[in-house]
Amino acid sequence: MKGINGKILIVVLILAAIIAAGCAGSSEEVTVPGSIKIGLVAPLSGGASDVGKDMRQAAILAIEEINADGGVYVSEYGKKIPLELVDGDTQTSPTEGVTAVERLITNENVVVLVGGFSSGVTLANQVPAAGKVPYIITGASSSQVTRRTEVDTSYFFHYCSTTDDYSQPILQFFVDELKPLVAADRDLRLALIFRDDAYGKGVIDSSVVYIEENNLPIELVAQQKYPVSETDFHAYLTKIADAKPDAVYTVGFVKDTASIYIQGQRDVGLNTVYMAVECNEDPAFYELLGKWGDGQLLESKFAPYAPEYTELMGPYKEAYTAKWGVMPGMMGADTYDGIYLAALAIERAGTLDRTDVKDAIKQTNASEMLILMDGGNIVFDEYNEISPKIFIEQMFWNEETEELIPVIVLPENLKSQDFVLPENYEIGG
Amino acid sequence: MAEITTLLQIFIWGLTAGCIYVLIAVGLNMIFGVMKVVNFAHGEIMMLGSFTSFWLYTYTGLNPYVILFISMILVGIFGIIIERYGFRKVLGTGKLNEIFLSLGLIYILQNAAVKLWTDDIRKIDSPFSSMTLDMGVLNIPYDRLIAIAFTALVLICLYLFLIKTDVGRALRATSQNHEAAMLMGVNVNHMYMLSFGIGAALAAAAGTVTGILSPFNPYMGTIPGIMAFIVIIIGGLGSIPGAIIAGLMLGLVQNFTIFYFGGAWKEAVAFVLLIIVLAIKPTGLFGGER
Repeated sequence: MKGINGKILIVVLILAAIIAAGCAGSSEEVTVPGSIKIGLVAPLSGGASDVGKDMRQAAILAIEEINADGGVYVSEYGKKIPLELVDGDTQTSPTEGVTAVERLITNENVVVLVGGFSSGVTLANQVPAAGKVPYIITGASSSQVTRRTEVDTSYFFHYCSTTDDYSQPILQFFVDELKPLVAADRDLRLALIFRDDAYGKGVIDSSVVYIEENNLPIELVAQQKYPVSETDFHAYLTKIADAKPDAVYTVGFVKDTASIYIQGQRDVGLNTVYMAVECNEDPAFYELLGKWGDGQLLESKFAPYAPEYTELMGPYKEAYTAKWGVMPGMMGADTYDGIYLAALAIERAGTLDRTDVKDAIKQTNASEMLILMDGGNIVFDEYNEISPKIFIEQMFWNEETEELIPVIVLPENLKSQDFVLPENYEIGG
Repeated sequence: MAEITTLLQIFIWGLTAGCIYVLIAVGLNMIFGVMKVVNFAHGEIMMLGSFTSFWLYTYTGLNPYVILFISMILVGIFGIIIERYGFRKVLGTGKLNEIFLSLGLIYILQNAAVKLWTDDIRKIDSPFSSMTLDMGVLNIPYDRLIAIAFTALVLICLYLFLIKTDVGRALRATSQNHEAAMLMGVNVNHMYMLSFGIGAALAAAAGTVTGILSPFNPYMGTIPGIMAFIVIIIGGLGSIPGAIIAGLMLGLVQNFTIFYFGGAWKEAVAFVLLIIVLAIKPTGLFGGER
């Protein structure tokens, strides 16, 4: 009898302890974080700081818009929590970029990383985040950022065009639009000039592969690579002019690309068609080029200067220029979308757990934002890549307003006019 | 084989690039020759020259070639201030102090430029930017011709100043032997300031010419700064004729290398040239015996 009473007493005590513990637990407040930290990985100083500035300004704009509505609803806490942007300055350097990302992850405990500019820099700074922190990469075009095999890439999401994405429409444009005008009865003579880094080589490699695989009627008559710090392109362009190309395909950033366009036409007399890639879609590019951009080309997926082609463009341009006093650039637009994608994913995940947020990003199926998508929706494929809609712009110099204004000349459903040869064009330069 | 006109064209590009190297390197060598100080921030002083000219151009709208002279004076004064309140304080206290002071200046000047002018890409518009001299077989842009002529003018003025004036002679005397110059009544501290001022003014000239020829940002000075060191080592430390010959040689060699072997060799060939010259003459082309 005594033994039974003792057992009952033990059971009662255990039950009481469990109930007490339960009560204690339910009476404790869940600690709600004051903010959700988003790490911005961008070149805020160094050679590409102009681009980093655009990325940061766009990110701040997106965060202010989201926070104006209270922030992001996180079901785990049952309330909206504001976003907080934490800068990670890569200093346009692979080594400094690694340090910046490590700090964002370890010291700042960010939930998501957004940004990354320059493939060479991003391929380095994504390593500390591998398998740990979701990273929406908005400015590195090498497809290796999500396809490399030596690190876990499941947390990386490529929210920008890859080198393959834009090489194909550019080369197809040369074949379909330029060739009939200047080389109808022969192969188009194309010269390439590119930065000696992962980005430049990536674009060129994918272009060469695309030409060969599709047996395009293009003859590569010159390939010139230049150091990333180059400012004087005269010798390169003289060499290219010697090869008598029908067009010059440039792969560089704003300062170098603008110099190539200007020095080529003004100093070397290489009066041909110049094509630049999308990272040059920046106010500084138009300003530097001035009249030397007349009739020249730019591949892009965001065209703030062109006649409006998406209804989101107007409000974004207005908000950006009102806040920062300058026109937005394309890298900023990618980053702006990237912040919204991160916010949507956190809301869907209902938690700040990085793995859950990563899974939510992977399952994204949202309407296109500033960057238009093939099919209209943002979806990440098996390589965590999107399918952006690429277009080709032709720029025209307006003597009266002294402005360089682009118009979309491809694709068919977005274009405002047909491509025409630049006025100073000479066959073979 | 390339046509002769193409080679002439490359020669012009190389000559212009060489002129910019000459302007930076002669200034750097002037400072080293007189003070025996190695200023690693010389490229950043060049950058200050670009931005000072840009700033003057933006606010006054004057011809950039007029602004060039104002910029040289302003940056020259800035150089004197750096010497007086920076390098003078550490002079003779050990080479490491001088080296770290100049390395620190790189970051200070870059950050100051970002603060003052932001790190946006800038350009200085020349009224001659669309004009070229048509010589039949080749065209030479006016701005390039002006850069070459201006460099020649500066070098002639510098030569006359150093050879024909008392102050120039005092500068040379200080460069040759500080103590002897002091005993002869030369105020060597004034010579230090003057050499730094002239060096900074020449860097400002190089910066303005560069800013007219191509876009720039606050980080533009790094590579020219390194190249200037290569030039003065090739030419011989402290030798102004050496800096002139080596600067022109480097510009020409780099441009012909780009043309024949590609841009990947542009920076490498500078070091190849350096190694060859040092292997043949360890004190540089015009360097004295050590």
